[in-house]
Amino acid sequence: MGKTALVVDDSPTMRQMVAFTLMNAGFTVIEAEHGRDAVSKIAGKKMDLVVTDLNMPEMDGIALIKELRKSADFKYTPILMLTTESATEKKMAGKEAGATGWIVKPFNPDVLLSTIAKVLPA
Amino acid sequence: MSNEFEQFQDAFFEEAAEHLAIVEEGLLQLEQRPEDLDLLNKIFRSAHSIKGASGMFGFDAIAQFTHKMETLLDLLRSGKKIVTPGIADLLLKSTDCLKTLMEGVKLNAPVDENVVQRLSTELAAVSAGEGERASVTPPTSASEPSASEGAYDIRWTPPEWLFRRGLDPLQIFKELIRIGRLSRVNVDTSRLPDLNGVNPETCYLSWTMRLETAASLKEVESVFEFVREDSELSIEAVTVPNPAPEGSGTNVQREIKTATSEASEDGPKSIGEILVESGAVSKEALERALSQQKRVGEILIEQKAATPQQIEQALQTQRQMEAAAQAKKADTTSIRVDTAKIDKLINLVGELVITQSMLSDLGTRFEMGQVHVLLERIAQLERNTREIQERVMSIRMVPIGTAFSRFPRLVRDLAGKLGKKINLVLSGEETELDKTVIEAIGDPLTHLVRNAADHGLETPEERLDNNKPEAGVIKLHAFHEGGNICITVEDDGRGLNRDKILAKAVKQGLVSDGAALSDDQVYPLIMRPGFSTADKVSDLSGRGVGMDVVKRNIEALGGTVSIKTVYGKGTTFTLKLPLTLAIIEGMTIRVGRETYIVPMLSILESIQPKPEAVKTVVGKGELIDVRGIYLPVIRLYNVFNLKPEHVDPAEAILLILETEGERVAVMVDEILGQQQVVIKSMEQNFRKVQGIAGATILGDGTVGFILDVRGLLEIARQGTPMAA
Repeated sequence: MGKTALVVDDSPTMRQMVAFTLMNAGFTVIEAEHGRDAVSKIAGKKMDLVVTDLNMPEMDGIALIKELRKSADFKYTPILMLTTESATEKKMAGKEAGATGWIVKPFNPDVLLSTIAKVLPA
Repeated sequence: MSNEFEQFQDAFFEEAAEHLAIVEEGLLQLEQRPEDLDLLNKIFRSAHSIKGASGMFGFDAIAQFTHKMETLLDLLRSGKKIVTPGIADLLLKSTDCLKTLMEGVKLNAPVDENVVQRLSTELAAVSAGEGERASVTPPTSASEPSASEGAYDIRWTPPEWLFRRGLDPLQIFKELIRIGRLSRVNVDTSRLPDLNGVNPETCYLSWTMRLETAASLKEVESVFEFVREDSELSIEAVTVPNPAPEGSGTNVQREIKTATSEASEDGPKSIGEILVESGAVSKEALERALSQQKRVGEILIEQKAATPQQIEQALQTQRQMEAAAQAKKADTTSIRVDTAKIDKLINLVGELVITQSMLSDLGTRFEMGQVHVLLERIAQLERNTREIQERVMSIRMVPIGTAFSRFPRLVRDLAGKLGKKINLVLSGEETELDKTVIEAIGDPLTHLVRNAADHGLETPEERLDNNKPEAGVIKLHAFHEGGNICITVEDDGRGLNRDKILAKAVKQGLVSDGAALSDDQVYPLIMRPGFSTADKVSDLSGRGVGMDVVKRNIEALGGTVSIKTVYGKGTTFTLKLPLTLAIIEGMTIRVGRETYIVPMLSILESIQPKPEAVKTVVGKGELIDVRGIYLPVIRLYNVFNLKPEHVDPAEAILLILETEGERVAVMVDEILGQQQVVIKSMEQNFRKVQGIAGATILGDGTVGFILDVRGLLEIARQGTPMAA
């Protein structure tokens, strides 16, 4: 596919799992620990997809989404947030910030990929 | 949830352990700074991470329990509850419980469900105390639909700002087509303004359509998952005008649909089940059909694509791989290494390869005139090797902070139990130490800290009477010193009572009454087996066991324990440890034609004594007067039955060695030099020999023995030379 994805999560395990699934699906993955890390790593780059956790140090997911939507390169990029069942307020805030969709933890690789298929232009 | 994520389980356990440490440490700090929001956020994030990741592996008990903790933490974080000692205590206990749960899934160990249950209830009760914010997860709104009707009429008006969230109606249609067939699609363009007024980022359109599909209402709704709440959306199930229940084209299509989606985990029922349920096929017929299904191996054999032997072998390989995977799971101790360290190592290996090729190049056309080039290359090889050795060793190095991290909690609990006020000060946590050493010093350190809290520090009243601050201080400090790591455990308590120790030692027959002993000889007495001066046996420490075990453990690591104390002011225990267990810095010495290695750690000095300094005392053997202190002399050639160069101490060299605060002078012929040696065990390769700690291969390929200083002291005490 040759598509690129940004995966942002402060938990290395979660990040690796998401990155692993995406790489198996043919993505080139950039991993970042938190929002600020992500912003610095993608400077000047365009991505096809962003998957981000919400609760993170330094710069959380909501702030990251807002930041990304400000940039012309990420205005229409699908952004998925990783949420937990109970975090409805977070989900709302994420949508407000411009998140395309969400994946509720826990999920399995199939759910992750089918959710991505929903938002990723062919 | 069994899937390919399982390979990340070990990583999860490691990460979770780190998070648990953060939570615990954070909670302890929180007691001092209850209003610290950053701290609360940090604790919350760690708990949240554990919850999120544990769910991914199906560790539901952990996820649920952490969720309860998280709920309470969230209340604290948002200021709806304040941190009280009770809450802090509950959260700390919950952290312990979480640790047990984690161990439980990791090692398949049993977990006390009662404790989990009790704490869960307590957490929920405390959280619910706030009333409206009890953690009730709302039931999922979409109720399970009845059996699929076959078609849905959909009316959809997306929100105008759809594009601004990276959403695209086209995606929705793509998804709908994937699960069914769209017909009667109508676009409502009535809201579309004049071209001049069009904002390209706004969605003006709405649609009506019919979707023919075998998918359930829930599945259709899920297509709109990300837009549903913001759209005007209605999805109505309709009965298709000519349903043609039996054998029609639609039915076939549905079967295919189901068959393909079978692969997904929570997919709909299998064709077989549906056929049986609809009455189209009898259960027996289905079972007959299924029994005809063959395994891959059988089919391959039938098609002559593989021989039975090959299949059998493949099956065996599969079983072996399964067994290996199982075994691997059982015990993996892993270590996290900074990628920079590995990169550096790879660079060095590259350099080594270059040196090697330069050497072999030189070897093919070597002339005697090039000896200096050869020596240069060899020197380079030596540099490479040493550097690689150091780097590889450094990979095993982890900061000692991991061993220190348990103490804040321990000291807090001890202080509570003992009714003392204790401040714990940690420093030098970043000092790096071999992982095995770190693991092994945990218990001895714990013992020392317990001792300091229990016996070292006085009660608050006693302290105030002695003009000391009410709160006692225990300091843990780690630092490098030479090639060693020193860890000090210091308290500002009552100090050791020299007279009491001496009196007890005399009573136990460890020293003779009236013997003039130096401080360095008196204080280590408390590390003799069975020695305890604590007046009464307390719950915490001082059952007469302890210090001797600490000493033994540290010495097993090749380290030493020393004590400094001022009566009434405090006590400091210093643990001196080697950086690593596998390699020691040694002094090579010669006796006759044999070479031995003495651990640098135990060498105090080397002297060439005056003839009159060595005296023979009846019953004590030979003694040497070193600046007024008499030390026993061991002639190494006697111990190992060698033919020495010198028999007169005045011509030979005496090494003053120290271990456990005791000193001995060892007589050797010559000091050859200093080098790092790799220790090979004697017990594993031969048998234990008194006075020998191990062996190593020397530069010229011969075997050199490493002297065991403690063993030599024993020999000196017994006065019986050993035959080697």
